[in-house]
Amino acid sequence: MSKGTNDLVDDLVAKLKRRQLVGSSTVAQATLKLLIVVISKNNWSKPNELLNLVKSVGQKLIEANPTELAVGNIVRRVLHVIREEYREAEAEKDANLNEFQPAPLTTSSSMYNLLGETGSASKDNVHYPSSLRSNIIQEIREIKDDLENIYDQIKNQASLHIHSNEIIMTIGRSKTVEEFLKMAASKRKFQVLVAESAPSYSGQEMALELSKAGIETTVIPDSAVFAVMSRVNKVILGTHAVLANGGLIAISGSHMMASAAKHHSIPVVVCTGLYKLSPLYPYDEDSFNVSMNPDSILGFEEGDLIEKVTVTNPYYDYVSPTLVDLFLTNQGGHPPSYLYRLIIENYDPNDQTFDLSTMAETLPKKQRA
Amino acid sequence: MPPKEKVESSEQVLQAVILADSFDERFQPITLETARCLLPLCNVPLISYTFEFLAVAGVQEIFVFCCSHSDKVKQFVKQYGKQSNMKIHTIVSQECYSVGDAMRELDAKQLIDTDFILVTGDVVSNMKLDKVLDEHRARRQADKSAIMTMVLKKASPQHRSRSVGDGALFVLDQASKECLHYQPVKAFKSSRQDRRMTMDMEIFDKHPEVQIRNDLIDCQIDICSVEVPALFTENFDYQDIRTDFVHGILTSDLLGKTIHFQEVTDVYAARVRSTQMYDAVSKDIISRWTFPMVPDSNLQAGDCYEFRRGLVYKEKSVVLSRTCVVEEKVVIGANTQIAERSVLSNCVIGKNCVIGANVKIDNAYIWDNVTIMDDCVVQHSIIANGVVLEKGVTVEKGCLISFNVKVGAGSTVPAYSRLTALPEDEDDSEAELESEQAIVGATGRGRTFREAEGSDDEDDEVDPRNKLVNRLAYDFSALELDQAQQELASGSEFESEASDLEEDEVNPAEDLDREVTQTLERAFKENHTVDIAALELNTLRMASNSSFHEMRKRIIPSVLKHMDVTAPVKSGKAVKDVLDKWGPLIGRMVHDKDDQIDGLYILQRASAALAPGTSSKVFAPSLRYFYDADILEEDAILIWYHSEKSQEGSEEEKKLRALAAPMIAFLEQSDSEDESEEESEEESEEESDEE
Repeated sequence: MSKGTNDLVDDLVAKLKRRQLVGSSTVAQATLKLLIVVISKNNWSKPNELLNLVKSVGQKLIEANPTELAVGNIVRRVLHVIREEYREAEAEKDANLNEFQPAPLTTSSSMYNLLGETGSASKDNVHYPSSLRSNIIQEIREIKDDLENIYDQIKNQASLHIHSNEIIMTIGRSKTVEEFLKMAASKRKFQVLVAESAPSYSGQEMALELSKAGIETTVIPDSAVFAVMSRVNKVILGTHAVLANGGLIAISGSHMMASAAKHHSIPVVVCTGLYKLSPLYPYDEDSFNVSMNPDSILGFEEGDLIEKVTVTNPYYDYVSPTLVDLFLTNQGGHPPSYLYRLIIENYDPNDQTFDLSTMAETLPKKQRA
Repeated sequence: MPPKEKVESSEQVLQAVILADSFDERFQPITLETARCLLPLCNVPLISYTFEFLAVAGVQEIFVFCCSHSDKVKQFVKQYGKQSNMKIHTIVSQECYSVGDAMRELDAKQLIDTDFILVTGDVVSNMKLDKVLDEHRARRQADKSAIMTMVLKKASPQHRSRSVGDGALFVLDQASKECLHYQPVKAFKSSRQDRRMTMDMEIFDKHPEVQIRNDLIDCQIDICSVEVPALFTENFDYQDIRTDFVHGILTSDLLGKTIHFQEVTDVYAARVRSTQMYDAVSKDIISRWTFPMVPDSNLQAGDCYEFRRGLVYKEKSVVLSRTCVVEEKVVIGANTQIAERSVLSNCVIGKNCVIGANVKIDNAYIWDNVTIMDDCVVQHSIIANGVVLEKGVTVEKGCLISFNVKVGAGSTVPAYSRLTALPEDEDDSEAELESEQAIVGATGRGRTFREAEGSDDEDDEVDPRNKLVNRLAYDFSALELDQAQQELASGSEFESEASDLEEDEVNPAEDLDREVTQTLERAFKENHTVDIAALELNTLRMASNSSFHEMRKRIIPSVLKHMDVTAPVKSGKAVKDVLDKWGPLIGRMVHDKDDQIDGLYILQRASAALAPGTSSKVFAPSLRYFYDADILEEDAILIWYHSEKSQEGSEEEKKLRALAAPMIAFLEQSDSEDESEEESEEESEEESDEE
């Protein structure tokens, strides 16, 4: 890797580690920006070279802050795009070289893998068209545009889901939900209850933003969520990440709200960009959570007390997929059971882990096969 | 989204100075072999936390000042600098023995050209300094004399993260954020000086609202201007930045510099100044008070800690047996193996350790490559790299076991021991290590570490208990046990409070005696006016915080002694002259009736104490003079005369009282009209006799 890009990578790694960059949308954009530079500034000629380059950068970024799942999602998305481009180039070439050979069965990427199953020694000699580089970069730029316009694509569905005189409940501050509700408010009149989400109290900021937009907003303490749930028509949640099983990593208090909604049979709608969808599975409820400084719960000044108690301050909740009714993504609405399909379409199964050492072990085997 | 931390954008290069040496010996014998700032804290070298803290603050250039084990520090910094985008320089100086020396060196080298952050190499903090820096700069813009900003963190007095015995009282003005006075506080205050705080009364004139605070952790994070190193050069006796520099600047009228403070809340800041603090800060890190500087954010490149419920941090390569129990607040480093039925709680275990079966580890800090065999028990201790504890060893609380010590099977390391594997004679590298088999067992390797004699000559008079409170796992009951020993060793130093106080009373009294006598002698000799003498004496009185009674007790006898009554003729005139001149001075010390009565007793006693034969020559005219000059009123004289106290005392005193009888009679007579005239005549006769 060239010196300049290496510095950029180190810089982003440091920022992620120090939590100077947090929040799915911010880290996703930063990661994508970095990857575009890495791909365009470095020399590569073979598909493996490029994939390894992106993977090695991706691994560094993911290790820097494993709880920011959006970083991994973006890296996987880029890898997927690269594989797709190669596959296309390969198919074209094969068709040109040998017209008798039937075109590979390429529709389902989960069944068919260019580098895995069909990899052969001859491929190393294949000469790829010079347009390949620009094609790949073009594709990645499209992802970038997508990321930037993600709110528009989600909020355009607002009028389908929010009706006049409904009471909507939400928790904490989510940019996506905020845009969604504001859009709906431009057409309809409805009421919003915002749970404040202690101890960050980001719900209060959310309520302020919504009331500025002219929405009738009420802030409620987290403890009142269950009590008022029976009056609510719909719960709309934002999320930090969506896991492969449809579970959410969302701001603490979300699980409580979703459970209360379930009890009252109130629909729970999750607004999220697809970049938050991760192909990873949660092994237990604590995975991908962040435990913050206990200071906001118990002041550090209380010297005698802090020795005797253990305070945990989780920032996120895991919300199981059974509590969610609908995901509103930039590609439309999907039930949790459909997420597997989105994952297959967006990511390559080979990119689940970025461990370069295991990759090195498997490659020779495949070549032998 | 979790809260975001802003990136500092500064126009000029932000510089920081890290003092990587602690200039004390609290971590010995471990620090005999490596530098304090390289000790692992939760498996990460201490100085990494400091670097990280500065990196977050947006520092671009760091000067690391090191003296002991400088080669190791240098090597580490070089390694660290490769991964970091900060410019890190090391400055090695072997002749530095204090912070002051380091600052003077810094001034001599002229490396700093702007305001800089001064920290020690053992600071752990997640503070964002940008706000503090901005305020400091704004203050500097407004007032060039604001040379330093100290960052202070609020915490209750018994807080575990407060270094016991390193506390201080701060006198602060919240409105101007100015620190007005600084007073270090020791844990055990054995001398009078330790128990008192003296501050300038002017502070109260200048500042309408003043806070005196003992609830602040001072972690020595200072924003200094370029003048600070220069001031250290000017005042070459300054050693410590707090007790000498801050105290010196604040008490000096000449320099006219001010020191400000910034009180921070909601953030963490502490210094690993002692083994006790090592324990506390480790616990704070494990309990995530230092977030985001916690083990699972993997400060050190290559680490890969996972965070589990119950505050357990575990590297991916750790091997835990099925039956071992990892209770809460545990950090386990890479490639460590823990065998069956071992129980770990509240501890940190380093990389590549092997821990056998049935081992109990509680509250201990075990560094890298340590082997602990079956059935060992380790409590509240620090065990350094490469230590081997053979089967069945018990390490009691408060122990420091230094590098590569081996404790033989079945032995017990007693509480608070410090073991080292270095040979006794440090100068002679050939010397063989003589193992103390009583402690480390037959197969062991190591000896008890003894502190070098006279290593801290300046602290000789310091209460030895103050050193002990900084130790790991100290508690006051343990100190009590040692006390008998110490009392033997240091004799009268540990006398009870009461006798201590009495002793204290004597000193200022003697001081005052001497001062008053000298002042009066000077006044007599140089013939000062009464005004000047009174002013001087009043100043003395305020300085010694004593009463007018004390002053009268000293002034009256002095004045009486000054009368030259030995001359055979005209002694009366001599008395009168002196009284005319100095009587008003005594008058200044007398205000109300009680004062007058008190003055009379003193006059009586003082006259009686004069050379035999002269007392009567002095007493009666003095009495009369005081009456005539309205210094004594008749009521007071009468009360004095009739009081029992005046009738007690020595023969001489009684005689003097008798001398006053005629005057009393006169007074009583003038009081009531129907007294006979004879008495008054008699009295006047007597008086003329006297003259």
